[in-house]
Amino acid sequence: MFFELSQIHAVSEAMIFLSVILMLLSKRNVSILILYIIQSSGVIILMLSQTQHEMSLLSLLAVAVVFFVKIIVAPRFLYKLIQQHYLKFAVNTYLGTTLTLIVMAVLTAFAYSSIFKPLTLLAPKNETALIQALAAIFISLFLIINRKGALSQIIGVLSLENAIISFALIAGLKQTAGLEIGIMFDIFIWIIIATVFVSKIYKQFGTLDITTMRHLKEE
Amino acid sequence: MVVSFIITLPMIAAIISILKKKDVQVLNIVSVVSVFLELVASLILLFSVAANGDYVFTRYFAVDSFGSILLVIVALIGFTASWYSTSYLQVEVSKKIIGFENIWSYFVFLHLFLLAMFFAIITTSPIFMWISIEATTLSTAFLISFYNKPSAVEAAWKYLIINSVGLLLGFFGTLLFISSITKTGGHTLVYWQSLLTNAPNFDPMVAKIAFIFVLVGYGTKIGLAPMHTWLPDAHSKAPVPVSSLLSGVLLNIAFYAVLRFKSVTDASIGPSFSQQLLIFFGILSIVIAALIMYVQKNYKRLLAYSSIEHMGVIALGFGFGGAGALAAILHIIYHSLAKSILFLSAGNIFLKYSTTKINKIRGVLSVLPISGTFFLIGFLAITGVPPFGIFLTEFIILSSGIQNHLGVTIVALMALALVFVGFLRHVSSMFFGKADENIIHGEMGNRIIAPIVLLVILLTVASVYIPTAIQLLVQSASQLY
Repeated sequence: MFFELSQIHAVSEAMIFLSVILMLLSKRNVSILILYIIQSSGVIILMLSQTQHEMSLLSLLAVAVVFFVKIIVAPRFLYKLIQQHYLKFAVNTYLGTTLTLIVMAVLTAFAYSSIFKPLTLLAPKNETALIQALAAIFISLFLIINRKGALSQIIGVLSLENAIISFALIAGLKQTAGLEIGIMFDIFIWIIIATVFVSKIYKQFGTLDITTMRHLKEE
Repeated sequence: MVVSFIITLPMIAAIISILKKKDVQVLNIVSVVSVFLELVASLILLFSVAANGDYVFTRYFAVDSFGSILLVIVALIGFTASWYSTSYLQVEVSKKIIGFENIWSYFVFLHLFLLAMFFAIITTSPIFMWISIEATTLSTAFLISFYNKPSAVEAAWKYLIINSVGLLLGFFGTLLFISSITKTGGHTLVYWQSLLTNAPNFDPMVAKIAFIFVLVGYGTKIGLAPMHTWLPDAHSKAPVPVSSLLSGVLLNIAFYAVLRFKSVTDASIGPSFSQQLLIFFGILSIVIAALIMYVQKNYKRLLAYSSIEHMGVIALGFGFGGAGALAAILHIIYHSLAKSILFLSAGNIFLKYSTTKINKIRGVLSVLPISGTFFLIGFLAITGVPPFGIFLTEFIILSSGIQNHLGVTIVALMALALVFVGFLRHVSSMFFGKADENIIHGEMGNRIIAPIVLLVILLTVASVYIPTAIQLLVQSASQLY
């Protein structure tokens, strides 16, 4: 074997962590989508690195399903939306770049704080990768809150899911292949429904900027 | 056998609804008959659990005492909602609120919604439970946006995003709970029972973090403050039969998930940690809901905030523990019945007045004497007026908190009084006075009232008499959680 498992974990998690940071800073929807593909690739590398110990057909099938949903279906659906509604640029954020960077730094520091130290005991060898996964979870949450665009919110939710899955894989909380397929099926349906709703929003409001959705406030 | 029946029926009903999408008569019959059979099967299961203990179908499916009560609640409220829907949708079609072609999709998603809830209760795996609860979000998102208006789409989007984020946090918490097994076991499917067995090996700090994530995650679905922001919008925008299911049933299912994790946490680190958190979120929910209910302008939102308040009361009951937990389980039953009565009666009010704004409605009692009376009964029951069961359960919950949590109990008592005053204020302005002259007096037929009659009878009887089987199950469930 060319690489240690912990090295693969570190590299994959770094991919996931960096991609969510860049998602927050990126202004173009296509760039965010590419970053999501990179992030999902990190998850797939993590899954593959663990599958090689088992080498069961079902485990490989689970990886294939994840690949299909995260690398093919989700980006395709979202790219179609971008093209359909001419969404070249991501809708604005609530906070400016400087404040966004500060919040990201605070969230990363929070993940490194002693509060979450017990979680690193789940896989002491991969302490840094686990903390990065936690930071990616918090930053993904911030991405969902900070973006005003429905499309960015979808990618934020998917990024949150990637971060959680990567934490679970690094911490050794891998589920049975059957369950992984079940979870992916759920995510797959979620993506379809979310994209249907994005189209509905565009049809009703003529934009994907969620700040224009004020009908509930007016009632 | 009964379990497979409960799971298969909604699936078959959904498939028939897809195939027979142009035949409204078939859609109606399939809907009512299938959910009625689900109710019968759930009752059989309930009596079986009461007589013989937990019903274990396979390693993957089992029903405990609390689960059997919840199954009956899902099936019962599902049955009245389906029955009511058949007439309600017909009136909406005749008033051109919805198109004829929308009905089949409504029933398909309704059956899938029921299926997901049944599955969440019956499964023995926490991950499958998470998948099922996530599936309830996906099936109901379409039901919330059923009217396809901007406000309905907005409410559905808010619901989808907030609940998905909440449930992902719940998923993270679930995975952390599973770490207690993977440390000692392997990559096999994790069951609730194995989590409980391994609870003593669970790292106490990880258990605390995991429970916080689970409570915040599933708490979002329950509608506990401050994660409740989606609930008033979603519950007020959905068609009323769906609102009755969302408020009266779905919130309980999410609560069931929290309680199952609570029992694991308690077995690991003792009950005080989870109880304190439940008390905190419970009292916060009651106070926030009470304040907003007082100034509410929309009666459907009023009912939605009332659900937040009652989830707070239930959280308080489990937080106080002992007799409080027992009362909380009974409270779940009474709340489901009373809230369904309120939502379905509110549906009749909406069909008559074509508005949900409180200040535009006058003289309901003279315009809709039967539906109006049922709404009043629901109001008295939900605000805890004797002799209705909620009076007793709230009394027990608050009594059990007096000794150790006096401050919280006093605040809860004041908030509940405010809820009553606020609700009474709105009800008296809507129900009395003179109605607009262009409003035609009279009910819209017996079929639309019959399901509410059934609920009113059940609520009244259950308030004064609880069958021995259910008493046993409630006692057994309160010891588990």
